[in-house]
Amino acid sequence: MKVRVRGYVRDMLAFRNLVPKRKKRIASSPASAVGVDPINQLARRLHPGIQHLVVAGVRDETRTTKTFKLVADPNSPTRELAYFRAGQYLSLKVEVNGVRVTRPYSISSAPFETLGDDGFYEVTVRRRKDGFFTTSIWENWKVGTKVRSSGPCGAFYHEPLRDAAKIVGLAGGSGITPFRSMARAIARGELEAELLLLYGSSDDDDVVFEAELSQLARKTPDKIRVVHVSSAARTSRKDCERGFITADLIRKYADVGNSSFFVCGPQRMYQFVDAQLATLDLPRKRIRREVFGELDDVTRLAGFPREVAGSTFSLKANVGEVAVEVPAKAAETVLVALERANLAPPSECRSGECGFCRALLVSGDVYIAPDNDGRRAADKRFGYVHPCVSYPITNIEVTIPRGA
Amino acid sequence: MAERTAQRQLQRAYDCVVVGAGNGGLAAAAQLAVKGADVLLLERHNLPGGFATSFRRGRFEFEVSLHQFCDVGSPTSKGGVRQFLEDDLGVYLDWVEIPEAFRMILTDPGQEMDVTMPYGVEQFIAAVEKEVPGSRASVTKYVELCREIIEALTYLGESKGNPDRRVLMKKYANFLKTCAYTADQVAEALGIPERALKILHAQWCYIGPPTSRLNFTIYGAMLYKFLTTSAYIPRQRSHEFALALDARIREKGGHVEYNTGVDEILTKNGRVVGVVTSKGDRIETGHVISNASPTLVYNHLMSPKSAVPQAALRSCNARVGGTSAMVVYLGLDATLQELGINEYSYFVYGNMDTTAMYETFNTLAAPKVQAVMCLNNAIPDCSPPGTSIVSTTTLFRPEVWKDVSPRDYVKVKNAIAADLIADLERALEVPLSKHIEEIEVATPETYARYTGSFNGVIYGYEPEPWDSLIPRMMMMGDDKHFEGLEFCGGFAFRCHGYSSSFMSGQIAALLTLRDLIEEGKALQ
Repeated sequence: MKVRVRGYVRDMLAFRNLVPKRKKRIASSPASAVGVDPINQLARRLHPGIQHLVVAGVRDETRTTKTFKLVADPNSPTRELAYFRAGQYLSLKVEVNGVRVTRPYSISSAPFETLGDDGFYEVTVRRRKDGFFTTSIWENWKVGTKVRSSGPCGAFYHEPLRDAAKIVGLAGGSGITPFRSMARAIARGELEAELLLLYGSSDDDDVVFEAELSQLARKTPDKIRVVHVSSAARTSRKDCERGFITADLIRKYADVGNSSFFVCGPQRMYQFVDAQLATLDLPRKRIRREVFGELDDVTRLAGFPREVAGSTFSLKANVGEVAVEVPAKAAETVLVALERANLAPPSECRSGECGFCRALLVSGDVYIAPDNDGRRAADKRFGYVHPCVSYPITNIEVTIPRGA
Repeated sequence: MAERTAQRQLQRAYDCVVVGAGNGGLAAAAQLAVKGADVLLLERHNLPGGFATSFRRGRFEFEVSLHQFCDVGSPTSKGGVRQFLEDDLGVYLDWVEIPEAFRMILTDPGQEMDVTMPYGVEQFIAAVEKEVPGSRASVTKYVELCREIIEALTYLGESKGNPDRRVLMKKYANFLKTCAYTADQVAEALGIPERALKILHAQWCYIGPPTSRLNFTIYGAMLYKFLTTSAYIPRQRSHEFALALDARIREKGGHVEYNTGVDEILTKNGRVVGVVTSKGDRIETGHVISNASPTLVYNHLMSPKSAVPQAALRSCNARVGGTSAMVVYLGLDATLQELGINEYSYFVYGNMDTTAMYETFNTLAAPKVQAVMCLNNAIPDCSPPGTSIVSTTTLFRPEVWKDVSPRDYVKVKNAIAADLIADLERALEVPLSKHIEEIEVATPETYARYTGSFNGVIYGYEPEPWDSLIPRMMMMGDDKHFEGLEFCGGFAFRCHGYSSSFMSGQIAALLTLRDLIEEGKALQ
């Protein structure tokens, strides 16, 4: 077979000219250097690995809850705040008693509030009685305190390509925070959706954002409605439903067939609300659940091997080129053990979902609650785990990436 | 605290540092490790794979980028990729052969076409003949020519860059004569009927440039490999592929470090002497294989900057940057059977004027090009019962995204995604939007975020005839600006695509091994 494109001689000449042509083309191009391209610049603005923030204000919300206003640190590499989608969280990176730990907190302010020179985030924190992290924040965060965080994370936001235009927010206690962000964004016209909030509280004088949510609902009655649900043993309130967020209550207020349900609250609320939602026969796509962070008590789960519940194992961690051996309690996650050893492991969601802490389990065994196992299929096969939801049930060895 | 941090520094010296764990970097590091070299693989992200990865949303695990892995072949008739993986590296994967080559649907009024093609030389030619009676002779000639391209490339590979000119002239004259032309120019010379050509060129978007600029050698080689070795995907997404290589590197004593980018490649008197990482590690090494592009390396990484020769920068500026992509990943709450989606792989184009189609990558609107993957038709249980995964890819000139502000970003991408979904629903005549349980929309920004690739491109420099495989190969000496620095991946001389970027890693590793042996290193 003989192929000719423009005749034998011209084809061969074209071949021989390839190198001279390429040389010429390169030689006639400018020798100018190029900077960081605009697409990578956009990526860094939308998804900075680390944001350097400063506390610019502290506001008491209720007797147990404070809101911290965070602005960009002008003397840092991140002088603007990353824009986000209402419902997303920040992973706060804090040093408590000399140990570096992280915690995910929903951003309670609205996305538009990050814009401009006065841009800010707000995170709203309820103090937990035995919480060393929240206690530390309460005691130490003052105006001027420097704080590091991740960029905005998480998938708990209204996605118009997927979700109904009507949001039913099922909030329990401090789980109200992402809904405050959504409500502010809706009131502003930034988020095109309607929001019906069924907001459960256990204590009538500890209802976060009560006044503000009422005000937003009054201001935009066609878009925002708030129904308080009080489970307090005694209440003098008249303007609320009593008890818990039941299927009947949902049916009473919500357009069940034409809404997307967003659930955020403490762990015990999920168990209750999940059962209620199950009776409504909704397609799965209509229910979005925020992850809730670490389990309150893993040893109570049916699949957890009880016999090791009180045990402490040895954890060998390979970090960089060194190996460190530290204790690890069965009742605590591998991530916590690594943090206690001050290895500053990376983490964001602390719920098994994001995979930011992903590590190789070299030997030994861990318990992972099936509901929190957000690993990729191949990760399971090749022995990777998410330390934030992995509990050691033997001595273990892990290889972890270095954190930021 | 400070002590702990100090302990976490990488301090050892290595034979070679591989920058980036994409397909090329993984292949290079694995080849080096298997041969006994002391290798450090650094990756800025917390996962290996680069674009060859997966992600979870709800109960779905999405493949990020792999549509069809070329040159894998069956266990009994191995392609180059499988040979390299199994015979050279000892890496075995659970490969799944995809069911058919592709179905192409053209949607423009007056241009409508709907054909489903198989792989296999005879089957493919017969299917084209059935669709375009009278095309057999010219299409057979086209495929024959493609075979010669592959044979010539094999010969060039075996001759290790020193081919016998007489052999080339005698046995591979057609290869030489078509080397400097575009896919369109060669097809025209062969007198291929227009309708048949539309089918032959259907996979143009796997490389990117329109067939009026795309070098024939590259396209012909790809087509012939697909026809003869079919296409495969790993059962657990390309993440399985990346992890298998990662595991092999560790097994063979290589060190892999994630969350660790390279900030500087240190040089002295024109040769590599070390790297500095984003974690502040200073690592001594005489060899670097970069999976990052020459554009990034010469503009941002080489240190001192003054050591970068002007020719290197000129070369970066001369070459045509590749396209980036947008992918809409859909987790659906219906099965593909319920939806009436029968094929794994679809091309949905307005028409097959690829120059005009490429033009649609130049605005912030839904391009008229979609390459669609319906994963459950290859791997039925890739998602839970009652669900399915469909993802559709289109391309963009990255520059059109440059003025999108963070605030408008989601609105812009969602508007385009909605149009892409609507176009797809019309072309396939299936309702997708009402079945969306999970959706993610990746854009050039997403690819920049996870890989740092220049402009977020997913493809390397465009292989126009002047800068395609052969001229790049013949100028490897001219293109080498530093001793101890090799490139692999989609920006290396083999051009982009899964198999090419992967195989380029082996070549970079072999070149480095040759240097190490010359330097007196004892290897296996």
